[in-house]
Amino acid sequence: MKRIIALVFVLALCGCEQSGEKRITIGVTLLNLSNEFIVMIHQAMEAKAKELGVKLIINDAQRSAERQVQQVESFIAQRVDAIILNPCEVEASAPAVDKALAAGIPIVNVNSETRTAPTAFVGSRDEESGRIAMDYLAKRLNSQGNVVMMHGFMGQAAQIKRDQGAREILAKNPGLKLLADQTGEWDRAKAMSLMENWIQSLGPKIKAVFAQNDEMAMGALLALEQAKMKDKVIVAGVDAIADALQAVKAGRLDATVFQDARGQGSGAVDVAVKIVKKQPYEKQVFIPFQLVTKENLGQYLK
Amino acid sequence: MLQVRNLSKSFPGVRALDNVSLDVAAGSVHALMGENGAGKSTLMRIVSGLDTADTGEVRCSGRIAMIHQELMPFRDLTVAENIFMGQEPTRRFGWLDKPAMHREAQRLLEHLGMTLSPARPMRELSVAQMQTVEIAKALARRAELLIMDEPTSAISEHEVEALFKIIRDLKQCGVAIIYISHKMDEIFRTADTVTVLRDGRHVATQPAAELDEAKLIALMVGRELSHAAGTAATTMVVAASVPDAVLEVRALTKPGKFHNINFALRRGEILGVAGLMGAGRTDLAHAIFGLAPAASGEILINGQPVRIRRPADALARGIALVSEDRKEFGLVPMMSLKHNITLASLRGWLIDHRAENRVADEQIRALSIKSHDRNQSVNTLSGGNQQKVVIAKSLLTAPAILILDEPTRGIDIGAKAEIHAIIGRLARDGKAVLLISSELPELLALSDRLLVMREGILTAELDPRRATQEEILQHAMPVSGE
Amino acid sequence: MNSLKVWLSRFGLVIALVVIGATMAVVHPAFLTWPNLLNVVRQISINGILAVGVTYVLLTGGVDLSLGSLVALTGVVAASFAHPGEYPVFVPVLLGVLAGTACGAVNGLVVTKGRVAPFIVTLGMMTVARGLALVISGGRPVSNLSEEFKWIGNGPVPILILVAVAIVSWVFLANLKLGRHIYAVGGNENAARASGINVERVKLFAYTVCGSLAGLAGVVLASRITTGQPNAGAGYELDAIAAVVIGGTSLSGGVGGVGGTILGALLMGVINNGLDLLNVSPYYQAIVKGIIIVGAVWLDRRKEKS
Repeated sequence: MKRIIALVFVLALCGCEQSGEKRITIGVTLLNLSNEFIVMIHQAMEAKAKELGVKLIINDAQRSAERQVQQVESFIAQRVDAIILNPCEVEASAPAVDKALAAGIPIVNVNSETRTAPTAFVGSRDEESGRIAMDYLAKRLNSQGNVVMMHGFMGQAAQIKRDQGAREILAKNPGLKLLADQTGEWDRAKAMSLMENWIQSLGPKIKAVFAQNDEMAMGALLALEQAKMKDKVIVAGVDAIADALQAVKAGRLDATVFQDARGQGSGAVDVAVKIVKKQPYEKQVFIPFQLVTKENLGQYLK
Repeated sequence: MLQVRNLSKSFPGVRALDNVSLDVAAGSVHALMGENGAGKSTLMRIVSGLDTADTGEVRCSGRIAMIHQELMPFRDLTVAENIFMGQEPTRRFGWLDKPAMHREAQRLLEHLGMTLSPARPMRELSVAQMQTVEIAKALARRAELLIMDEPTSAISEHEVEALFKIIRDLKQCGVAIIYISHKMDEIFRTADTVTVLRDGRHVATQPAAELDEAKLIALMVGRELSHAAGTAATTMVVAASVPDAVLEVRALTKPGKFHNINFALRRGEILGVAGLMGAGRTDLAHAIFGLAPAASGEILINGQPVRIRRPADALARGIALVSEDRKEFGLVPMMSLKHNITLASLRGWLIDHRAENRVADEQIRALSIKSHDRNQSVNTLSGGNQQKVVIAKSLLTAPAILILDEPTRGIDIGAKAEIHAIIGRLARDGKAVLLISSELPELLALSDRLLVMREGILTAELDPRRATQEEILQHAMPVSGE
Repeated sequence: MNSLKVWLSRFGLVIALVVIGATMAVVHPAFLTWPNLLNVVRQISINGILAVGVTYVLLTGGVDLSLGSLVALTGVVAASFAHPGEYPVFVPVLLGVLAGTACGAVNGLVVTKGRVAPFIVTLGMMTVARGLALVISGGRPVSNLSEEFKWIGNGPVPILILVAVAIVSWVFLANLKLGRHIYAVGGNENAARASGINVERVKLFAYTVCGSLAGLAGVVLASRITTGQPNAGAGYELDAIAAVVIGGTSLSGGVGGVGGTILGALLMGVINNGLDLLNVSPYYQAIVKGIIIVGAVWLDRRKEKS
């Protein structure tokens, strides 16, 4: 019922607009609008859409791949010009891509991938973030010393790739030793407990911590500060969330890795519009990660 | 068809069946009679395999099906699905053969003289229709012995006639029927043979033709019917206002349970209430105590009308109840003996453990509750001692009025005598006691006055010094027809 | 022999704790040191506070699934009032606890007056509270908290809060009439009603206390991680209920108590800490935890059969 109403509504809108000049409509389904990073992607998309004069229909999949597929189905029914998919899962969101392609509607994946290749992909290589962070630790330690690593939820794409990137650097630096690695489930409180336990078991042997996201990096930082060990241990995270940037500014956190949400969001809209207008476009656009330390902090703080 | 030989069964403290034998021939209707607690249900549970006997044996040459007094159909399934529950006709791979199921259900129902679509959901049916479906289910199972427990208790006059016709037809087809009922006229209309049980023992088996109502009651009670006893006339008891009544009940009514109940209870008096199971005595007790309040009518305490909506109200006004179902309404099973005893009488915010121990010990001594430790869990006690715990709990609320509902059910003879002594002592101490019991000797021995209930109404007030068990039963037995 | 059995049954959980503790002490030298033991207790403080709260509810025969979301909501509420130089520190603490109390009371009211199953009511509250946390925080963590507020979650403070909560609850359940009534309602609701106990009020009280303690846990968590996280606390309700059940409180109510709950939380904390110290692979940690938890309960429950 709801869908029918939406359809009628959209048809009515299209009808109105066709009398004037034809506006491009893009359906967007986002992973989760209560996630800070996704909110930033969303904002960048809206800004780019305004600039290019296209209309966006924004849907929130609330972490459900199934809901995401339904949303794409309804975009197809609405005959949108293009779809931007911010996938919930590699496998489970793939049918959304299949359906859009079968219906002849171009689909652009943003931020993460699906098993089926879309018309175009805009995002970053998660391995790169792990590489950048671990490389930073290696340089600070002069390639000599003990490192611990905190994983995200085991088995998630981001965990697997950040782990992979970090291990590439470890392999290149035989002087770096991975003393322990354990999951903090992306969670600040869990990471804090984990760090406390490591402080007990490994104590002064730890020279650096790589946390696969900033939440966990903040947890590790708090535990180290309470044990009065922060000045002896280097901590790096990924994502450049507001809290982490503040901590870098205050000289507490050593580094984080900036994933360019704005670049991804506006890039996705840009590519989608090019496809619709049949202009040349790149099939894969990689927005680079950037290391954030106290030295280059200014450009990332709003 | 069915042979029962020397069956005995004991429950803790009670001998439910004592060396009972019974023969039921194919194609006959065998009535089973006896007062509440005579052992009918235990016997039938053993015959139908729901329970096992301690000694003795049951031999049966065919399948047995039982139609319970309280029907328990699957209300959201269809008639056909109910009939074939558990033995559905199937095709390959467990696929239900629905056409066959409906065809067969239709045939069975027609055979029972009923026009009813097998596709109807069960919940749309009347009680009588459900009963017929239940019988169809028995036939679908090719049952050769059908046990019917009070089958007419919830159906209309007209439906009773239909049921009797079905019974006659079944008989002709060679099905044996055990028929349990309190209704005399039904027994004489349907039964070929009558067996009477009393206190778990077999009293008599006689052809129905050789019996009459008076002889049957005499067999059930255990004495010849005295000629002095009147006929079973219905007398509505309307108590004249009693000036010194502690508790008075006026026109108390709860539809479907009891109707227009009036009585008064004095200080130091034991007022007995007799009646068969389902006569509404427990519902009356629950209404006065606030567990399930009445729909209309008045309750007066010391002449003042009071509203009792929950047990807390009743306790605050000095009414205590010892429920007939101590597992459900009496005890908290995992709690200690001590905590159960004091549960209803804790005062203030803090618990004074020393005082609690003292009070519990006093009660354990006063009621001679046999236990090795006041902290032992109450469900480790015997039935009689559990009952004393419930009584102790009620007494500690310092009630002026005590309602005892079947206080000696299911407990051994020694404990029973002790509880009788306690009841007598309470009345001498000035408590007003309402004593509900199915044991007529107990009622006759303890009560100062005796009320009889039948099917939700008060039918007689008797003087226990002159009344006899036969007389009580005549007022308590339902009379069907006019 | 018999007395040994009785002894075993009463202290089964203590024995499990001692055995695991002793094994850890032998295998890893860092385990049996003061700082590490304090660590373990501090790490269980949040789960411990939640578990004590939900003990009240489980004893009445109910359940509360909204705890994790309440932790997030109350943490966000407290953090919103805990920026430096705004309010004295008792304001965020009080508001956090009050927010929890209010949600708990709503749970209790719907369960008693509305006669909706606790599972459903608290499941509803779980999503409502999570939504409220996101609304209040605008989906972003609330950070920049005052030093006074951060003090609550650090050093020995969370441990002291847990100890205080446990002692008060223990005294309450053992010595107050209302405590006794909680056991009676869970043991046999009908018998409790027939003993003049206001069953509805007792249940309302239990859910309210549970909500208050969830609020307190939320405040401690926000202080400990120095932010109010709208996404925090996911799954905390199950950890809390697990601690209570490991501690011997029956899921059907009427049996158990705070002592067992604390032991249960400690056992879970020791296992967590031990597995981290030994650096057991994250894949195997989950398996080992599950097996040890079920094993401890199995050991403990054998008493009921013997």
